[in-house]
Amino acid sequence: MAAKRLYAFAVRYLDHNATSPLDPRVRDVVIATLCDDGLQANPSSVHGAGQRARAVVEQARRAVARAVAAQPLEVTFTAGGTEADNLAILGAARALRSAGRPCGVLTTGLEHPAVLAPARALAREGHALILLEVDGCGRIDPGRLAATLREHPEIGLVSLAAANHELGNVYDVAGLSAAARAVVPEVVIHCDAVQAFGKLPLALAELGVDLISLSAHKIHGPKGVGALIHRRGRELAPALFGGPQERGRRPGTESIAAIAGFGKAAELAVAELGARREHTAGLVEELRTGLAALPGARIHGDPGRSTGTTVNVGFAGCDGQLLLINLDLAGIAVATGAACSSGTLEPSPVLRAIGQAPEVAREALRISVGKDNTREDVAALLAALPEILGRVRGAAIDPAGWREVDPR
Amino acid sequence: MTRIVVAMSGGVDSSVAAALLVDEGLEVVGLTMRLYDSQHAPTGRAGSCCSPAEVDQAKQVCAQLGIAHYTIDERERFESAVIDDFVRSYAAGRTPNPCVRCNEHVKFAPLLARARALGADVLATGHYARVVDGGLWRSVDEAKDQSYFLFAMGLPALRHVRFPLGTWSKDQVRARARMLGLGNADTPDSQELCFAGGRDHAEVVESRAAALGLDVGGLAPGPIVDVSGREVGQHAGVHRVTIGQRRGLRVAGTEPRYVLRVVPERREVVVGDAAALQVHELRIEDFRRLAPLPEVGEVTAGVQIRHRGRPAEARVELDRDRAVVRFAAPIAAAAPGQAAVVYDGPRVLGGGWIA
Repeated sequence: MAAKRLYAFAVRYLDHNATSPLDPRVRDVVIATLCDDGLQANPSSVHGAGQRARAVVEQARRAVARAVAAQPLEVTFTAGGTEADNLAILGAARALRSAGRPCGVLTTGLEHPAVLAPARALAREGHALILLEVDGCGRIDPGRLAATLREHPEIGLVSLAAANHELGNVYDVAGLSAAARAVVPEVVIHCDAVQAFGKLPLALAELGVDLISLSAHKIHGPKGVGALIHRRGRELAPALFGGPQERGRRPGTESIAAIAGFGKAAELAVAELGARREHTAGLVEELRTGLAALPGARIHGDPGRSTGTTVNVGFAGCDGQLLLINLDLAGIAVATGAACSSGTLEPSPVLRAIGQAPEVAREALRISVGKDNTREDVAALLAALPEILGRVRGAAIDPAGWREVDPR
Repeated sequence: MTRIVVAMSGGVDSSVAAALLVDEGLEVVGLTMRLYDSQHAPTGRAGSCCSPAEVDQAKQVCAQLGIAHYTIDERERFESAVIDDFVRSYAAGRTPNPCVRCNEHVKFAPLLARARALGADVLATGHYARVVDGGLWRSVDEAKDQSYFLFAMGLPALRHVRFPLGTWSKDQVRARARMLGLGNADTPDSQELCFAGGRDHAEVVESRAAALGLDVGGLAPGPIVDVSGREVGQHAGVHRVTIGQRRGLRVAGTEPRYVLRVVPERREVVVGDAAALQVHELRIEDFRRLAPLPEVGEVTAGVQIRHRGRPAEARVELDRDRAVVRFAAPIAAAAPGQAAVVYDGPRVLGGGWIA
């Protein structure tokens, strides 16, 4: 049966932290690579056809390396940001353990599950795991980081995101790294930059970290490809086994078209960084002002340091999921901070980590803009919300309460 | 376009209900409630609703119909209002009706509130029942009629619900589902306890009672006694027997014995002959009116005490939220905790729980 579309599919996309639309210029590169009969060989093959495929991968590697001021040899392509985070956490901690060095993990409760889950898996294998406390805005105190490292000599790996996926907070990674290294010079530092890439300038040396995770689809690239930037000289155990690709760090035949698209997306992200930042910051300013003026609004996160693309807002007495559904039915796509664990919704772990009660966490909406959003998109959201807030607040969920609010 | 919310279980009934509303030109929004964890309910098991495989099925049907679909997490509410109540009732020697509880506490009021929060004034479900002139009626297909389970939803809710299948037979529903190419067209009807996941009800009660801090002493084996108090056998737990049960009792003697009542404080099961099981009257508590009935007064009506039973003619003496039912002819007793629903022909006048 042909699907009849009876409801307005979201035309105003304000969920760029989940994924971003493929840039047409990137799409052209992906399709051209897929369709090029001369690029169908295995990049690991010795023959000429293989070498041509290899050249495409290496060109993309140079582009990604340039985007974070790293060397091409420091780029390991992965199947995405999650895999890059897993490889960083598992690979670094296991390499430390093999070398007989401290191999405990220090991170925060704000991190993406792609960091926290492998860290917890390591904890089950006997690695130490410490979650650094953060303040009510989700800020990390470098003094506390240093003090924690001083108290816990078992820590060998620190993992901190450059930007938070739900709050849009930006972290002074360079300052935090310096604070950590002042205590333990050889500590391995991983930076999940999946949400920061394309929104902030990133340079491996300036950040002072050893590992950086990147994802293509958050910067208008294809899904299914990412990279781990890995500073030379640092040991990294593989997390997957079965091939010599990516210097043994990530076995498996490379997805040439996706990698080529990643290279193009990285190139564009760097070239257009300033313009994109200016554009999205203007939209977010309008969003913040408009949202803050709505009754019961509570904006979460660090007002001082933000990617300028994300607003996390809750409205007192309004379930975030009901707001999301209402907005979706009105053609506006946003997210809640809720984490989908085994198919069910748990209130945002990030908001819980900054000390918000579950009821408050359940109210949260995450609105994240991208380069292609317009002021009309923001205006549409702000125009739709008052009526939606009114109807969601007017409908008590409590069974007894429902009868009371029945107007007839 | 008028927006309407359809409660979708993933089964064929609610799927066809949604399709019928789409055909009416309404803006249909499908909602599926996730009701319980599936650790004991293998996914994809036919015969239960609202486990993850059924959520996927509902989503697939909505995609086929071109309508929006969302999942609502109601595990906490379902656990406290339905599962825990179920366990407490059995532990107290009563026989609960979880479907009635679910309709009252989970399916209607909270979902209606959500429908309203989503800008819809009406909630539709795939129940076989009708709303006629603001009253709840049996469905046209009497074999499938579910009005018995719906009496507790209350009159105010009735103004905001639709049962699109009320004039349909199950065969017609399946035929329509096949015509639409829905993957669940021939899925068998659900029968068993949805949240038990293949366990029997006694196992559910035993595994949860202690966690609820209930006195589980009553769930231990105990004596079967006759009406004079003489011990005639042993039972495996008062929650494992049902009023009217004959089979499976290990009692001395050759004449048929039926379970008359259970006394959880003494861990006793009382049995007697078929005649002793017959009752002339029963008491109803927490009586709800679904029609204009006197607060205090008497009506003649049909009273149904089992889902698949027939209503028995009776005089019903109403006293606010209590009622005494006097049957014209004695009927086999039903367990305390079961629903007693009062009908005037096809119309539900009200109902409550057997005291």
